[in-house]
This record gives sequence, structure tokens and C-alpha cells, in this order.
Amino acid sequence: MLTISRRVGERILIGDGIVIEVVEVSGGSVRLGITAPKELRIYREELWERVKAENEAAARADFNAPGARPGPA
Amino acid sequence: MTVNSSRFGELEVPSDAVLDFPEGMIGVGGNRFALLSREENGAFKWLQETAQEDLALPVTDPFQFFPDYEVVLSDEEAQRIGITDPSQAEVLVVVRADEDPGQVSANLLAPILVSAGVGHQVLNEATWAPLREPLLSGGRQEVAAG
Repeated sequence: MLTISRRVGERILIGDGIVIEVVEVSGGSVRLGITAPKELRIYREELWERVKAENEAAARADFNAPGARPGPA
Repeated sequence: MTVNSSRFGELEVPSDAVLDFPEGMIGVGGNRFALLSREENGAFKWLQETAQEDLALPVTDPFQFFPDYEVVLSDEEAQRIGITDPSQAEVLVVVRADEDPGQVSANLLAPILVSAGVGHQVLNEATWAPLREPLLSGGRQEVAAG
């Protein structure tokens, strides 16, 4: 993993379309400003992980509710 | 078209039941899902990935179970997916089944918006948007009271 030191107000460019700016550093937390092409989705990792785990669990679960099983169209 | 499903076997699906998901479902992918239902008035449907037989998610209309459910998107997200008014889109939520009917839950945090044959699973920014809300809870008033 690439590790880069930046001060408040400094930026990192990823390719030509993504800019990440250090907005504020306070205690153990960093506020980042992100500019990216609008078709890119940006998530907080922990939220993404929770939704991923929920989707996976839903895809795995046994499901026997009446009317829930589709027949031939 | 013919769709193979590890859950349902071989299915013949009308092409207008197939939805494009340009970014797939969050964390699990997929790009084209067939929306399957057996009964016109059945409470549940399935989104079966047309090329990944193992990937099928049960979904439901959240408003049947949670009348005061709301989907709120940031302006950027609404613009990104091309749906500025969630009320213009069909809203589905993923259902997580459980042996205990009381534990069957809906994912109100990451609803699926469908419009014009295109679907997006989004993060709901409404203040009430639990990841696992029991389907039988009835919604937020009862949660608050309990």
C-alpha cells in the first residue's frame, strides 16, 4: 500500500478525475474532501461491509414463505 | 430468455422482467437481474442474477410492511443514478429470511430503486433506515414505543 504524508489543505490526485483533500485533522480523526466523477460510488467502508454482509446473508438464507417461490414464467 | 438458478432451477423469463444494475448490488455484484414473482399479489419477489445462478435476493415492497418508510438520497446520489424523485421509482428492499418468522428482516438502509428497467441499490440517508428491521415490526412508531 502506498503511504503519503499530507498536511491540512493539501491534496492527493488519483488519476485525472479523483481529488482527495485533507480538510481537518483533529484528535484521532481526519476529515477528507473527495471530488470524483459522479458515476463513482463512495462509501464509508464499515457501512459498505454491513450492506455487503446483509446482501450475502439474504442470498444464502432458506426462504420458504408461501408465494415466495417463483414458478415457470 | 432462459435463466439458471441454483435456487429455482431453469427458468424461462420474459425479457421485460430483466433489469440492468450498472453497478450491481452492493458488495455482491451482478449486472442483470430478473425480477421474478409467482403470484400477482404475493408479498415477495426475487431478483435472480441472469448469469450467476447462485446470486438471488428475495425482495419486497417496503411500504406494505412499513407505511411510513422513506427513502432519502443526497443530491449527488440522485443525480448519479438519474432518479431525482424516489417517488417516481419502484422501491424494493432485500429480505433476509429466518427460521423464526419474527426474525425475518428487511434491509431498509440499502433499498433498491428501479426506474425504466434500470436498478440501483443505494444508501438511504433517511433518519430511520435500519439495516435489519423485523418485517413484522410494523415500522418506526412501534420500534420507538418498544
